[in-house]
Amino acid sequence: MAVYKRRYRPYHGPLTPERSRFLVLTRYAFAGLFRSRVFVLLFVLALVPTLFFAAYIFLANNSAVQQFLQFHVAGGFAVENKFFFTLTMIQTQLAFLLNCWVCPTLVAGDLVNGALPLFLSRPFSRPEYVLGKCAVIALLLSVVTWVPGLILFSLQAGLAEGGWTWSHLWMVVPIVCCSAVWISMLSLISLAVSAWVKLRIVATGVIFCAFLVPAGLGAIFNTILGTYWGSLLNFSELFRLILVKGFRLESELVGRAGLPQVPLFAAWIMMILVCVLSLYILDARLQAREVVRG
Amino acid sequence: MAPTIELDGLEVQLGGRTILRSLTGVLDGRAIGLLGPNGAGKSTLINTILGFHTPSEGSVRVLGLDSRRDGKALRALVGYMPETDAFIAKMSGVRFVQYMAELSGLPTDQAMERAHEAFVYVGLGEARYRMVGTYSLGMKQLTKLAQAIAHGLRLLILDEPTNGLDPPARKRLLELICEIREASDICLLLSSHLLRDVEETCDQVLILRDGRIASICNLAEERRTKRKFLEMETCGAEPVFASALQGLGCECALFGNGRMKVVLPDAVEIRDVYKVAAERGVQIRRMNQRRDSLEDIFLNAMEQSGGSNGRI
Repeated sequence: MAVYKRRYRPYHGPLTPERSRFLVLTRYAFAGLFRSRVFVLLFVLALVPTLFFAAYIFLANNSAVQQFLQFHVAGGFAVENKFFFTLTMIQTQLAFLLNCWVCPTLVAGDLVNGALPLFLSRPFSRPEYVLGKCAVIALLLSVVTWVPGLILFSLQAGLAEGGWTWSHLWMVVPIVCCSAVWISMLSLISLAVSAWVKLRIVATGVIFCAFLVPAGLGAIFNTILGTYWGSLLNFSELFRLILVKGFRLESELVGRAGLPQVPLFAAWIMMILVCVLSLYILDARLQAREVVRG
Repeated sequence: MAPTIELDGLEVQLGGRTILRSLTGVLDGRAIGLLGPNGAGKSTLINTILGFHTPSEGSVRVLGLDSRRDGKALRALVGYMPETDAFIAKMSGVRFVQYMAELSGLPTDQAMERAHEAFVYVGLGEARYRMVGTYSLGMKQLTKLAQAIAHGLRLLILDEPTNGLDPPARKRLLELICEIREASDICLLLSSHLLRDVEETCDQVLILRDGRIASICNLAEERRTKRKFLEMETCGAEPVFASALQGLGCECALFGNGRMKVVLPDAVEIRDVYKVAAERGVQIRRMNQRRDSLEDIFLNAMEQSGGSNGRI
């Protein structure tokens, strides 16, 4: 209908497949994010360490450059599991910072002015809404975490000699899977907090607190009671524990103070519990209409 | 063709309270008004139709689709304009409507075209590139209407659409709603506490009270068949005149000083009243004729359903 024809008529044209409709949310969210300069800056900064790691790999595999720059490292440049562990650890922490900025903008904007009923009054469900938003975080944080990990692994595999690739191929699993675990937990906690708080800036602060305050409380608990179970409240530490196991760095298992660390199964249970709690909060808060009890 | 809305023993409980109680009825009008005092359950009924609330008993079918079983298919046929603020502040108006249209399943290019059309149609063409957050209340209402009509809907649900609008904006919105109703085969479900809004746009009314159906009435039929009232000021032998009118089958009420109210049965015309007055030597100095308005229907429904007041 041309604009000048003012008579109303409903749409009768073709429709997109229902199964992929949640990607509309993802597309619009990305369009909104990349309009923000702060986000672009954070995103670029999150990729900077990867360049240094890439330079390291190049240096480690190029003796001519080493001689030219007169680098002498005891034991030589090693690109082993410790290297990828460090890379994943740094990138996942940067992913956390990026997530703190991104996640509230995804959900709070919809909730603060009551747009959610408009989403849910369409052939569109709450799980699809969460899926659409999670897809944004998953794609974004993947680009910051396991994608650079795999690229650097491929770079090293291309430059290294002597069957390095086959002997280290197992590291692909922890690079991808551990990052996926961290991304899942981050996205669920952050979405839950954003849905709960609704205000973007406050949500960013609360996400920080959700990670830092329990970690601090856990440390106090450990110090006072001389135990290690307080570490269960430190999500970064739990992730580190899983990462250490994944990269077969058993020597890292002993904590900095020489205390034993929480068992791996406890770390998994805690992370699963946190994810379930986040899903519960999302279920309670992402309602088209709030029901007042009593 | 399936009726617009079928209620079959619908009961909805929220927060431990029963909000809708055994609603049963068939609404087959093209434009259905939903009336009731505050807390009667109007919005809950709309939310149940949209699948936001699950019925604890019974069911509601819209255009032949069950709200619980065929929720997605039902919502694909519905355009919804909520009562409260519902927008994304940091998005231009046209992009917001395009976004909503895409979520309803329109391909991107079609959604964009429809968003522009809808915006021009509701009269916001000039403001479509402004952020929705900067719109006035009236513009936000029109934006909500635009997003509700951008896709291929069969039922347009309007929850208090004229809330907070000034008279010209209200008039414009009601005109738009009537145009949409006339220009297509779209059905309307309009919830409002303003009886005039419903009277101007709807041909059938569902009146709720305390979560129960107080009345379902066909407005056009009611207007046609309901009794006529006469308010008169007379001079002369009023009791004699009144008894003569009662002899014709009229109901009369005298209020002193010549003022009287007469209810005419269908068989009696105004000229019969004049005739009786002339025969009895009574002067009719003022006569005001009116039929039952929606307000009367509403108040009757409130009284018949056991309420003493019809406050809304």
